[in-house]
Amino acid sequence: MISIKKSFIVLFMTLIFSLVLVWFVGEMNIPGQAAEEVNAYSIWPENWARPMFEEFEKATGIHVNFIRFSSGEALARVIAEKSNPQVDVLFGGPVETHSAGIAEGVFEVYKPVTYNELESRFKDADGYWVGIADDPLVFMSNAGFLKEKNLNPPASWDDLLDPAYKDMIQMADARTSGTAVTRIFTILQVFDRDEAKAFEYMKKLRANVQVYTKSGGGGTIPVGLGQAGAGIFFIVDALKTQQEGYDVVVSFPKEGIGTSVEAIALLKGAKNPELGKKLIDWASSPAMQNLFAEYQINFIPAHPDVEIEPSLAAVIEGANIFPIDSDWAGENRKRIVDEWIEKVLP
Amino acid sequence: MPAFLNIFKKKVSINLPKDPAILLSIIVIWFFLLLFVLFPLSKIFILTFEKSGHFTLTNVLEILGKRNHLQAFWNSLLLATLVGLSGTVLGFFFAFTSVRSNLSKAWSKFIDGTIILPLISPPFTTAIAMIFSFGRRGLITYNLLGINTFNVYGLHSVLFAETITFFPIAYLTLKGVLSGIDPTVEDMAFSLGSSRGRVFKTITLPLAIPGLANSFLLLFAASLADFATPLILAGSRFPLLPTEAFLQITGLFDIRGGAVLSFILLVPAFSVFVLQRYWVSRKYYVTITGKAGAQTQIKSITSRTGKVFLTVCILISILILYFYVLLFYASIVKAFGANYQITLKHYIVVFTEGLKAIKDTLFIATIGMLLGGVYGVVVGYLVSKKTFISRSAMEIVSMINYSLPGTIVGIAYLVAFNNPPIMITGTAIIIIACYVFRYGATGIRTTVAILQQIDPSIEEASFSLGANAITTFKRITIPLILPGLFSGLGVVFIRSMTAISATIFLISINWTLITVRILDKMTELELGVAAAFSTLVVVIVFIVIIFINLFLRLFRGPGAIDMSNILGG
Repeated sequence: MISIKKSFIVLFMTLIFSLVLVWFVGEMNIPGQAAEEVNAYSIWPENWARPMFEEFEKATGIHVNFIRFSSGEALARVIAEKSNPQVDVLFGGPVETHSAGIAEGVFEVYKPVTYNELESRFKDADGYWVGIADDPLVFMSNAGFLKEKNLNPPASWDDLLDPAYKDMIQMADARTSGTAVTRIFTILQVFDRDEAKAFEYMKKLRANVQVYTKSGGGGTIPVGLGQAGAGIFFIVDALKTQQEGYDVVVSFPKEGIGTSVEAIALLKGAKNPELGKKLIDWASSPAMQNLFAEYQINFIPAHPDVEIEPSLAAVIEGANIFPIDSDWAGENRKRIVDEWIEKVLP
Repeated sequence: MPAFLNIFKKKVSINLPKDPAILLSIIVIWFFLLLFVLFPLSKIFILTFEKSGHFTLTNVLEILGKRNHLQAFWNSLLLATLVGLSGTVLGFFFAFTSVRSNLSKAWSKFIDGTIILPLISPPFTTAIAMIFSFGRRGLITYNLLGINTFNVYGLHSVLFAETITFFPIAYLTLKGVLSGIDPTVEDMAFSLGSSRGRVFKTITLPLAIPGLANSFLLLFAASLADFATPLILAGSRFPLLPTEAFLQITGLFDIRGGAVLSFILLVPAFSVFVLQRYWVSRKYYVTITGKAGAQTQIKSITSRTGKVFLTVCILISILILYFYVLLFYASIVKAFGANYQITLKHYIVVFTEGLKAIKDTLFIATIGMLLGGVYGVVVGYLVSKKTFISRSAMEIVSMINYSLPGTIVGIAYLVAFNNPPIMITGTAIIIIACYVFRYGATGIRTTVAILQQIDPSIEEASFSLGANAITTFKRITIPLILPGLFSGLGVVFIRSMTAISATIFLISINWTLITVRILDKMTELELGVAAAFSTLVVVIVFIVIIFINLFLRLFRGPGAIDMSNILGG
């Protein structure tokens, strides 16, 4: 029979259990009950999105609920949720993502207050998205690796084909990452949109690739640690790695490298459109972009009134950076990515 | 009347239970099964085979036409077969050592304890540990052995990681099988002058074959469904089906493509299910006495061989432990591989930024556990104690979501519940439903197993004393199946804490899960935080297991089933 001691234990455990359960239910912030809340999918990594959203809340009192997805995933989600959008804003991410989304009819036109102040490159002609930052791609290599192999930092696309880099390059997977898509369209641009030549190059490059990472910045730490020798990343990810103390070198190819606008867009059918618009207003203005320097977020601001932070300006000085034609990229994203999967990935 | 004419008296009638409570339960259960098992699956079928309104195979051919996907299909089969073989062999080795070599209590407990770890871990633990150990700057390859060129991505790594992760299942299954073999049978052979090798070859092994086959199938299915480990370790040159389905949906916003890929996965998975149910389980060889007889001197291994076997087992267990210690270590150093300063900052992140995920996961796991436990007991009771029309159908349907790879179930739920008439994506309900109808099936099996051992005359006695079905259930059946209930609760909770392959499609802005956060953090290369989350999950799950075992010991009734057996099935 169950002794007193045993029933005590049972009772005690049940008590703990119920207390814990009650605590949970009590603590549960049922969404919508708090002060004004807006929902967003952020393509920016949490470490940058979070401080920006906190500043937004400080400035406006509106709380931002967000999840981070890489650009492919975010786009997939938004399209899947078309009939019942779960968020109001798609925050950040290379603009090819947003262009592709326009075709799927997931965005709502909204021109924020700063619309006319922005360069034409940083806004959609119809008003579906606006740019909040500019993000060039860069080559990033591990200094120790370069020394060991007696190499200079890669200064040309052809440098990466060097057999010294065999199995030592990490780059993003185009199925999930906007970095990869930007990279592919950059390469297409470098070869003057000659798809045959561009894919030929990419196939040759593939021989040196150790692994295609799920997210754009996925290869940065391996390069930082020396697990990989080099990679192609957005400048934000590369400089972050450098700032964290990893021994890496940033370089640019002489043939040119692309830059992608980071954009923001309002979702069609958003549940909190007014709050979403406020977020877009704030993000596309100096109010947010002046904070980049303070939080060491190495994006180049999109708004013309915001100065580029001096050390960042020094890095890109003299580099051959060209903008990607985002409309063309958006229209052809699926086709090009499919081709990459078929020809280059295996 | 002559007796043989009685057969003409039997009328074929629809067998409906007379008790309204039972009838109601059956109807309710069927409603939920239709809604949460058959409806989502049908959506996958439709997506796969329908285009512009009619049946077509073009979707399938289009997907299979892509080289990457076809490769993924063959790779998945290859990997699953290899894992099945290596895991079964390793598991058999462990089981044989454990059962036959007279281990001391301490070693037995050590091995059992370590073996449980991979079963209760969140996904990616082995993968993370392997990257830290065998990557280009890995602890073992670089720091220890000075090898610079080992490529940690690929088939070999996934095979290794999956074998380590899944062989405990084989171990538990085979341990049960081997202990069920009456040692007196072997003794008889010895007494007739057989050598040890001969006894093993002609007696032990043949009796264990159904168990080996069962293990192989279990491991085959587990590997086929494994999404997490390959995501990290397979690399880009070795695509696998669950990962491809995931990437198709999350990366290429191609839900139809993902559905087709997961449907292709369904084919081998279903074959395994059928084989298991209709072939292996029919062939369990029962030894002559049917029960383990008196413990006679087991002489099947010399004590020297026994020591060798034991050493190997201990070494492998230490390897497993090493992975977990490594995980913990990675969670308390600043930046594994670069900066080995001890810090708590990863845990601080876990308990501030990650608090929502922790609360959400615990909430969902708890509710899922309660609902899943009740569901398991009710269905188990109905299916084993009551006869009614559609009884075997109910048994099979309730097992479907459990037998399928999680990716299929997740995609099915996403597709089924994202549009009218029933839109519950973005809620906790969809995640809870996924867990209940997937892992609750274990509770069903346990309950069925226990009830089969309970003499029906006990219930009949209750009825004859005037109690109705509810009273009998409450006062007779429930106390007897309480151990089953608790194990069922435990399993649902544990699996809910550690699942990812289905629910990664179901998280939303409102509800997120620790396992998904682990993946997020791994993707963002915050490996310290990922390790901290993983450690937290292992600790929570371990505590829960200890509690459940405590409960089980308090309520040990007839047919009390050991926790580890539940995890194994």
